Amino acid sequence: MKKMMVGALSALALGLTAGVAVAEYPERAVTMVIPYGPGGATDISARTLADPLGKVASKPLVMINKTGAGGATGSVAVQNAKKDGYTMLFARVGSHSVNPAMKATLPYTLDDFRFVGVYEINPVACAVEAGSDIKSMDDLIAKVKGSPGSVSYSSSGVGSLLHLAGAMVLREFGVEKPLEQATHIPLKGGGAAATAVLNGTATFICTNSSALASFVSNGQLRPLMVTTAEPVTGFDAPTSVDLGKPALQQLVGWTGIAGPAGMSDEVAEVWGKYLTEATADAGFLEKMQARGSVIRLMDPKESQDFINGQYKIFRALVDELGMRIEG
Amino acid sequence: MSFFDNLLLGWELVSNIESFLALAVGVVVGVIAGAIPGMSATMAVALTLPFTFALSPITGILLLLGVYKGGIFGGSIPAILIKTPGTPASSATILDGYPLAEKGQAGKALGMALYASCTADLISNLALILFAGWLASFALNFGPPEFFTLILFSLTIIAGVSGQSLLRGALSALMGLLLATIGLDLVYGTNRFNFNDPNLMGGLNFIAVLIGLFAIPEILTKVWDPRGNDGSTRQLGGNWVSFAEYRACFKSIVRGSVIGVFLGSIPGIGAAPSAFLSYSEARRKSPNRENFGKGELEGVAAAEAGNNGVAGATLIPLLALGVPGDVITAIIIGAFMIHGLQPGPLMFVTNADIIYGLFMGLIISSVILLLVGSVAIRAFRFVADIPRGVLFPAVLVLCVFGVFAVNNNIFDIGVMFAMGGLGFLMLRFDLPAAPFLIAFILGPLLEDNFRQSMLMSGGSPDVLVRGPITWVFWTMTVITVVAVVRAGFRNSKQATQN
Repeated sequence: MKKMMVGALSALALGLTAGVAVAEYPERAVTMVIPYGPGGATDISARTLADPLGKVASKPLVMINKTGAGGATGSVAVQNAKKDGYTMLFARVGSHSVNPAMKATLPYTLDDFRFVGVYEINPVACAVEAGSDIKSMDDLIAKVKGSPGSVSYSSSGVGSLLHLAGAMVLREFGVEKPLEQATHIPLKGGGAAATAVLNGTATFICTNSSALASFVSNGQLRPLMVTTAEPVTGFDAPTSVDLGKPALQQLVGWTGIAGPAGMSDEVAEVWGKYLTEATADAGFLEKMQARGSVIRLMDPKESQDFINGQYKIFRALVDELGMRIEG
Repeated sequence: MSFFDNLLLGWELVSNIESFLALAVGVVVGVIAGAIPGMSATMAVALTLPFTFALSPITGILLLLGVYKGGIFGGSIPAILIKTPGTPASSATILDGYPLAEKGQAGKALGMALYASCTADLISNLALILFAGWLASFALNFGPPEFFTLILFSLTIIAGVSGQSLLRGALSALMGLLLATIGLDLVYGTNRFNFNDPNLMGGLNFIAVLIGLFAIPEILTKVWDPRGNDGSTRQLGGNWVSFAEYRACFKSIVRGSVIGVFLGSIPGIGAAPSAFLSYSEARRKSPNRENFGKGELEGVAAAEAGNNGVAGATLIPLLALGVPGDVITAIIIGAFMIHGLQPGPLMFVTNADIIYGLFMGLIISSVILLLVGSVAIRAFRFVADIPRGVLFPAVLVLCVFGVFAVNNNIFDIGVMFAMGGLGFLMLRFDLPAAPFLIAFILGPLLEDNFRQSMLMSGGSPDVLVRGPITWVFWTMTVITVVAVVRAGFRNSKQATQN
């Protein structure tokens, strides 16, 4: 209600100032699909952005959650929507670079979407339980190589960023067959994945630093490394560059906005403008940074290149390790 | 500083008009949202979250907690009145609540649901305040093997809700297990039974199955036999629960609360299994066991105590470990983080005042729930007096709306009607629906935890008996199964003698 009020008010304000702007996109409310459940990283990010976006958009933005199948259900809904820009998607690393790279049966590909902007980057961190005798990445790798099968890592499910991240980190550090030498334990959701490391079900976890921040500051988990080139606040751990594995910089989470492929340039342009203004909002920046995200707006071209680049790296790894899911 | 000094400090923090107002508004919003089929407590909390950004941390979090508690209770209102659970957690309340409403005792059932909820809520909050540390370390001992044995034990509930024939109950449970396998395989990520339809990739929507199974058959029965109830009119939902009745159910309420506290403190189980477990325990201990499922007040009390007992306890892993126990607490963690607070052991040191403030707020919330709930059921119970010809079409509209609202998906409405057809057939052939539902909830948990255990141990079954917790649940499972089998033999002997 509040959002609609704000939307209506800003529509009025814009109408008064712009005057002649008739028949310009958007002419009516835009549906924004969040392909993950309420309370998840994507949902919170989307709803935090919705606040400043609602102020700059001339029509109300209606946020709806369409959950299921690791983001596929919501993504398919936007893939099949009209290409008029009135149904947009909050795309996420899981639904739009890991899933396409891993799942042959996915009902969509990256070509089915037109990205109007990636606005958030989430550094990835790897951590073990605080009481573990593993103190560094070297210890971890030595243990994987020394006694194959003794090390396991948790994820929020098959085809999640966490699933791929664990394998990619081990591979970069020279483990030949990460999926055979270490065990992947899929759980239901990111919270369960972190708990699995806390209670000893799994040895380590690699996920968005924001999901681990409170455990690290509470001294329950010990961070081993972060994948970004810059250190992450609160994580007393070397970066991938410090450890001499700059390729891992590609292993980051992100959130962006996309529409169905074939959407007009005009719509993409409007969204580029909206995102530029919304991501500069001080309240938005403060809330997002408090949760450990890096706000970096990419224009449509850069977003597309970034996602395609990440997809290619993930796909190459998936093919090399035989992780592709065909059934 | 002693424990009581801390509590006093906390009291100072919440003894202001904003906190009381936030709790009251939260509970009102929660009860209304919970009472609307398809608006789950989770959605209500998620929609309230943005409003807390502008509030002070403690007021904001109390608002969310109010919505949460109100939502869990609110779900029982439509469950009792129109056989449509407002939230999954209240599905066990249907079993006896709806028959009571049919008998013209809707007011009584609602009153008992409220008193049981508030009592369980209070016990749960006290458990959180007094035993948070101990329960949290207990919860951390729960890995996949412990979970597996717990769920295995919980499946024995099916024997308790099967009604006359265990075989029919088992058949119904098998169908539930079968439909629960639709979706993506946990370990391999491959498609299961989805016929290449993206709509089925995420599995069947839980709410759609729930409403389809319970509410739709009721409406279809009406269409099938429109004059069936002409002789009897539903009496006014006016009569109220007496103190003697409350006292008679008190044992079951406390037992349900304790079950709720234990299951709530373990991340990842949720309120629905707790309600069913509490219900089946109450039935097992009750002298008028035969009356369960036909309108036994104690059944309502036990089910509601079981699901509300979870509410305070889910905050145990949240505050003591920083781990969200379910989706709702995951959203509440978000509210903490927005305000720069990080739940976990350190918070007891750095922001102890806020934690104790929350504790005091929770205690107050039980009282507010009692007040708001009393008003709400006085307003809602007259739904029972609406003529069926008006009520059922309205319920159908509500069901369609509610199922759509869960995931904004038209497909789910189709699932609801398909399940409604199945539910109707089950009703005609005397197959109980409750075992289906329990299997549908517990089946995937059982499978996932079994497979996770096997991954942990590299395929060796030893891991399933790795510690005292697993031994306890194995023993309890064996005892229950033996008891059920013996009772079955005794019954068939009696049947042949007669």
